[in-house]
Amino acid sequence: MRPGSLLSALKRDYQLWIMVLPAIAVIFIFSYIPMYGVQLAFRDYDFSKGLTGGEWQGLHYFKQFIDSYLFTDLMRNTFFISFATIVVGFPAPIVLALVLNQIRRKKAKQLMQTTVYLPHFISVIVLVGMLNVLLSPETGIAGHLMKAAGLGHINLLASTSTFIPTYVLSDIWQHCGWNSIIYLAALSTVDPQLYDSAKMDGASRWQTIRYIDFPALIPTIVILFILSMGNILSTGFEKIFLMQNALNLPVSEVIATYVYKIGIVSNQFSLASAIGVFNTVINFIFLFAMNAISRRVSNTSLF
Amino acid sequence: MVRHRLSGGEIVFRAVLFALCAVIFLAVAYPLYFIVIASISDSTMVATGKVLLFPKGISFFGYNEIFRDERIWTGYRNTVFYTLAGTFVNLLFTLPAAYVLSRKEFKARRFIMFAFVFTMFFNGGLIPTYLLMKDLHLTNTFWVFILPFCVNVFYLIIARTFFEASLPPELYEAAAMDGCSHFFYFVKVALPLSKALISVVGLYYLVGHWNDFFTALIYIRDNELKPLQIILRDILLSNQVFAGGAGTGGASGGYAQKYADQIKYGVIIVSTLPILVLYPFLQKYFEKGVMIGSVKG
Amino acid sequence: MRGQSEIGPHRTDNDADQTILLAILFEGVTLVRKRIHLLLSLILVVSAVLAGCSGSNGGDGNESVNEGSGSGGGSGEKVKLTAVITKHPLTKPLGEMEWLQQVEDAAGVDIEWQEITADWGQKKGTMLASGDVPDLFVGPNVITDADFAQFQGLFQDLSELTEQAPNVQQMFAEKPETKAIATQRDGRIYGLPKYQAFWPDTVNRQYINQQWLDNLGLSAPTTWDELYEVLLAFKEKDANGNGDPSDEIPMDWPGGIGGYFNPAVLLGGMGITLASEVSGQGYFVEDGQVKNFLTDDRYKEMVMFLNKLYKAGLINPEVFTHDYTKFQSVARGEGDTAKVGFTWGWVASDRFGEQVAPQYASLPPLKASAGYSGPLSWSYDYYSMNFGTNHIVMSAKTKNKEAAMRFINELYSPKVGIQVLFGSIGPNIKDNGDGTYAVLPPQDAKMDPGTWKWTSTWADNGAFYISDSTELTLGTDMQEVLTHSEPLKGVLEQVNPETDVYPAMFIKYETADNNAMSLNNTNVMNLANASFAKWVTKGGVENEWDAYVNESKKAGLDQNLEIMQKYYEEYMSKQ
Repeated sequence: MRPGSLLSALKRDYQLWIMVLPAIAVIFIFSYIPMYGVQLAFRDYDFSKGLTGGEWQGLHYFKQFIDSYLFTDLMRNTFFISFATIVVGFPAPIVLALVLNQIRRKKAKQLMQTTVYLPHFISVIVLVGMLNVLLSPETGIAGHLMKAAGLGHINLLASTSTFIPTYVLSDIWQHCGWNSIIYLAALSTVDPQLYDSAKMDGASRWQTIRYIDFPALIPTIVILFILSMGNILSTGFEKIFLMQNALNLPVSEVIATYVYKIGIVSNQFSLASAIGVFNTVINFIFLFAMNAISRRVSNTSLF
Repeated sequence: MVRHRLSGGEIVFRAVLFALCAVIFLAVAYPLYFIVIASISDSTMVATGKVLLFPKGISFFGYNEIFRDERIWTGYRNTVFYTLAGTFVNLLFTLPAAYVLSRKEFKARRFIMFAFVFTMFFNGGLIPTYLLMKDLHLTNTFWVFILPFCVNVFYLIIARTFFEASLPPELYEAAAMDGCSHFFYFVKVALPLSKALISVVGLYYLVGHWNDFFTALIYIRDNELKPLQIILRDILLSNQVFAGGAGTGGASGGYAQKYADQIKYGVIIVSTLPILVLYPFLQKYFEKGVMIGSVKG
Repeated sequence: MRGQSEIGPHRTDNDADQTILLAILFEGVTLVRKRIHLLLSLILVVSAVLAGCSGSNGGDGNESVNEGSGSGGGSGEKVKLTAVITKHPLTKPLGEMEWLQQVEDAAGVDIEWQEITADWGQKKGTMLASGDVPDLFVGPNVITDADFAQFQGLFQDLSELTEQAPNVQQMFAEKPETKAIATQRDGRIYGLPKYQAFWPDTVNRQYINQQWLDNLGLSAPTTWDELYEVLLAFKEKDANGNGDPSDEIPMDWPGGIGGYFNPAVLLGGMGITLASEVSGQGYFVEDGQVKNFLTDDRYKEMVMFLNKLYKAGLINPEVFTHDYTKFQSVARGEGDTAKVGFTWGWVASDRFGEQVAPQYASLPPLKASAGYSGPLSWSYDYYSMNFGTNHIVMSAKTKNKEAAMRFINELYSPKVGIQVLFGSIGPNIKDNGDGTYAVLPPQDAKMDPGTWKWTSTWADNGAFYISDSTELTLGTDMQEVLTHSEPLKGVLEQVNPETDVYPAMFIKYETADNNAMSLNNTNVMNLANASFAKWVTKGGVENEWDAYVNESKKAGLDQNLEIMQKYYEEYMSKQ
């Protein structure tokens, strides 16, 4: 670029720069400056020499993790839970938004909206507590229902086959409504004239959804989907940890809970950092792949 | 309302819609209702599954315990302040940046966007961050709730996407012809057209501040600065006599144990109620945002 | 990864703790810490249980008062200090503790306390790693030996200062164990232990519902087979007499393997002596060898027995999923109707609640079979009950170390010690005037003595020394504990602490060994917990045992046994 055009671009855009500068400053200071700490994954942690003074170990801690006894199990469980959450959990708020958008009566719509948003405000600890109470095979309502349905004595929280469905469905219960807000906001931007002309053309409401509402959501869907792929190896820590018990452990031990366990017992900062970096790198790969695909296919991309 | 003749398809549609809504409503509402009745019922009855539809062994012990505690009020005050101030600063930093990044003519936007998104996936970790806060003298001050992470990249992306989708590029071009600057256009045109967005992102930020627990846990030592969430947890734990298990010795279980759950449920309600009460007010803005969004064309 | 907390950005908003997301994105440590609060309750269960098991105790001995060095009392200006205490959530603000004011006055210090009731693990990491530390730390194992090794130079070597603290010296002289616990491999002393003299030798008491036995005309079981028969009767008949024959839960425990109130104590029926310091992960000592019961054939036998019970419906089906609250509340029954037949606990009134507690009787250990003629054993927890590691620690950055040491010295005065544990003389303790003391009942009649103690003072979390000669009449709760320990006495007296118990408290590991061990233990316990739960509920231990034992070795069990054996021998050779 010629310096002249650079200058003129700056001159033209100076107002834009002023508007974006505060955000850049904040992100640079609070997110980028502390990043020097990442080297911990490649070094021993040595308090007396400071955070970055420990001996350089290269990929030692990465190897330690990859060679570790639980590595395959952890990867499998983490991928599995993430995929299940994305496959089932990602479309749910979209569907919900489309449904809510169809309710014509204002009061009813308000009531529905308010209700479905509520669970989002509940803390994870409480949510898991509720699951325990409600799903108890002995005393919970789920237990009573299953007995009545002749399904017998199933403990949903304590079986390797029901853990993931329980996890995913409760997650949808809690966050689906809240996550639909974005989509509802996007639907609100649809030009009403479009609806009017659709009506005049005799389109049914199914068709309106199919040809007007859904296309309006696509940019949002794409962006959110890319981002969610970028978190493919990141499962919720708190909830899984709280839902873990000896019986579901074979499917519920994920990277995050494992890092917690080794980190908390012995402050093994370096190993924990290395696992974190490993995790991030995988997430990045997915993020980039999705971003590239989507830029080509739908012309929408994050960056 | 004008009575329309309903086509067969429309009838089916409405029936399906109604059934769907009814199921969703019950699935969401019942567990919430359960917390409410559990908070005023005898905990043993709750734990043994006797409380399902109506409260039993009604007592307000939990609420009494919670509200007797002066710290609660300090916590409320702090949280309200952090939430309002924090959300204001959030919007102040996020919206202009999102607007800029939505402008296709802004050449640096892809690079900046990437640099921002990068931080969603990568950071330096707690200890370097803590050291930074300490050096900036933010620890143990209310600023730590407001300043450090006031731009949430995820919300920034939402806002950017919204601006891109809802502000036709020609609009600015037309305005620029009239000598309108970006500042003016942003404040007078873009923002008023984006009330739906502002209310959504604002609410997201608001809830984030309200439920924020971690910031105070790590950076705050002074009791006077603690937000509600931390204090509620302290109360919660103080009733988890079981946490001491045998360690607490003696018959501790008998007295406090019985009410521990009740307090737990009470705490859920006390800590979430304000934001629930707030929502209907915000909903107005949602609606307004939605309407303006749809009026623009 | 923000995702550490949830998946996918469509959920980024979720618990909206963006601070967390961004602050922590990828670093494991961070996440580790940040999340700790959740677990907190879990951790508390474990650690407080470990730290706790206390109450009050009937004392004996004499010559209670040892006037703490009154030095430094020279009024005028007091030295300002800062301190962190990890106290029990029930404990009232430190400013309201009379004895503490007196101690601070006597030492000439004015301490600004930061009172922590939760998430200490999380706060601690940041605090230590950033070097942003107070002058003193108080609490059970408030800073661990591993922390001392990792954060070198951050903590004050107290051995240089003990000559200024006659009370600490006296503790070291009277109870040499305390000195051994305090001393690191290099001879330095960073943290001082506590000693509380009166606690029982075991944390676990074994309870059966005597009233149910009487109702059904049965006698108390003495072997596993008899236990099976009794539990079967509890299950099939209406043992509690409320008209519903199926609401009895014959047997219950908090869940998992190892830990407190766990069926692992049944292994005593085949001669294995547990010790809570290490038996949570299965380790024990036998014939000079460090072993792990998780891969011991006797454990396999016990698992088969438990599976037999489970198949017959004699074990609470929620045993592996319920949390501690539910475990406790179920046993409280309804009104006068008890629900649980056979279980383990600290003491009946705590385990079952005042109302049904009188129905229960404490049992001696059960023999594995009628034909078994070897020795019986139980869990021997004398050390973890009466001693505590690193209850007070000083920062090396403390400006006025003499003043801080004066304060420590005051705390370790025997007359102060009983107040640290039970509360101030006056409201909580009665001074009989003749050198004897009595723990007073709670001022609020509705409150039980245990809660009263934890509300009033630092209790077991404090740093203190109570000499064996202290004459103190304990509260009713501790008297109950001691009474219910009687049936176990015979067996426990046969345990030789010198040779039958792994001296976990006295052994200090090298950092590398410590790291390796904790990593291995995480893996081993993951496997053990999952297998145990599966085998008990679904069976299959016979076929899968060999593979499991191999897998445990791969997970690091052998390496740990090797390490522990090495340290054990080193320790024994010095005795």
